[in-house]
Amino acid sequence: MSLRAGIDVAELDEGRRARSYRIATTALAYLIPGVFILLPLILFLVQSFYYVDHGKEVHELTLRNYVRFFNDAAFVPVFLRTCILCLAVAVIAVAFAYPVAYLLASIEGRRKYVFALAFVIPLMMSYIIKIYAIRAILGSNGFLNRILLALGIIDAPLTFLIFNLQAVALTLAILLLPFAILPIFIALERIPRNVLDASADLGASAWQTFRRVIWPLSLQGTVVAATFTFVLALGDFVTPQMVGGTSGMTFGRIIYSQFGFAFNWPFGAALSVVLLALVLVALAITGLVTRRHPS
Amino acid sequence: MIRLSRGANAVLLSIAAFVLVVLYGPLLVAVFFSFFTFENNAVNWGSFSFDAYASLAHDEGIITAVLNTFLVGAVAVSIALVLGTALAFHYNGSRSRFRELLQLVIFLPFLMPPIITGLSLLVFFREADIPRSLITVIIGHAVFVLALVYRIILNRLQTLPSSLVAASLDLGASRWQTFRYVLAPALMPAIGSAAILAFALSFDETLITLLVTGTSSTLPMRLWAMMRMGFSPDINALVALILIGSTMLALLAMRFVGAPARR
Repeated sequence: MSLRAGIDVAELDEGRRARSYRIATTALAYLIPGVFILLPLILFLVQSFYYVDHGKEVHELTLRNYVRFFNDAAFVPVFLRTCILCLAVAVIAVAFAYPVAYLLASIEGRRKYVFALAFVIPLMMSYIIKIYAIRAILGSNGFLNRILLALGIIDAPLTFLIFNLQAVALTLAILLLPFAILPIFIALERIPRNVLDASADLGASAWQTFRRVIWPLSLQGTVVAATFTFVLALGDFVTPQMVGGTSGMTFGRIIYSQFGFAFNWPFGAALSVVLLALVLVALAITGLVTRRHPS
Repeated sequence: MIRLSRGANAVLLSIAAFVLVVLYGPLLVAVFFSFFTFENNAVNWGSFSFDAYASLAHDEGIITAVLNTFLVGAVAVSIALVLGTALAFHYNGSRSRFRELLQLVIFLPFLMPPIITGLSLLVFFREADIPRSLITVIIGHAVFVLALVYRIILNRLQTLPSSLVAASLDLGASRWQTFRYVLAPALMPAIGSAAILAFALSFDETLITLLVTGTSSTLPMRLWAMMRMGFSPDINALVALILIGSTMLALLAMRFVGAPARR
């Protein structure tokens, strides 16, 4: 382990020994991330160019998985539907996160962090348990239906609450809401007080101050929040599996099934590369937008 | 600081209250039904019992899963702490152009969707002929939490005054002594909070685990299997216990790290 925290200790050592020591530690530093992070990714990428023929993997580089994705009528619609689903999740999450973050930012003193904590703690709670709990409420045998039945509002359990795409969107929005609150809260927090004072002194109404000053300054955090939720929703396959039912098929689930029942790893890898490309596009758009509106 | 009119405040308060209900409500309902049962579409208030909790203690599968989860968390976090510290020192001391690239590689498993990280490890394990087991789960978790551990320790390392090391070396301490008596104590709070946060992440990790696990499983895997069969008071009891555990872990981590955006 090299110990050059801040200063160059190397000068203090006798030349050659220090140099071979440095080469050794550098090699070690690159080795483990290289083997356990980079190498698997490269293998995975290569895998996407292989193909399966009669249940056997053929190790020959082709583009046929990608061609299949774009030509097969089964996949592109699910891909687009998943994009729309995740956009909806991002919009719902941000729509609720913004008012919450705004309220938090308006609280005086240290207390605001305590309140913020209340909205962040659910992030630390078990992810699979939250899905289970939501399912226990929305299910046809669930809490909500039983209450409504007991109150005599309905005669038969409502079945549209769960096992469809709407249920997936709702569950993902609930799960990801805290991720959306944090960046917006931080952006609002950063707005200097004197900017708001100046706006008020110059005669702006509360609405004008919001519209012309606060909103533009918090836009960057809001876009980051939307991207966070979009990307996290995109890669999830457990939530759709648990609350989506048969009609709630998403792209993540299709990828997962290629490594399970379908057992077509190369095709699954190719679909994942498509997913990753979409994530990169989302991040690039975020980068562009946030650069144009630096706060 | 943003000021709100009375009307705006009321609207925002009601939205925030609604969000809190949505975030916590489902969990509280689950905890509630670990004590009570439903009969004829109504809560049977006389059914209060700890039976569900008692039966958990006899469930071999769950006990094994809990032990596996702690084992995986402890080993993966230890590996990540050693590696993360070493890599943070390397980044801090190196002037190589490649250090940014190395840093990006370390961050990748955290930035990419977990499904990509999990699947690429799955392919890697197959190519390397490593059978799926708890060991592959540990590797997956270590790779996943490494970015977080590395970042927290590097942050602390970069705020340490460089005169600290210089003084120690001037006074005749060896590199090892400087590390042992000067740097390690200064890094301890960062290492502690990194360890707690990383353990919390590992404890809950589901997506990567699901892809690289073998037959022996961690708690989220066990829950996932149980939930596919349906609901039971047992699951609710387990849910309640895990919630208590993870909330305590969360509060502990927050205490260590300080309020999230405190500057």
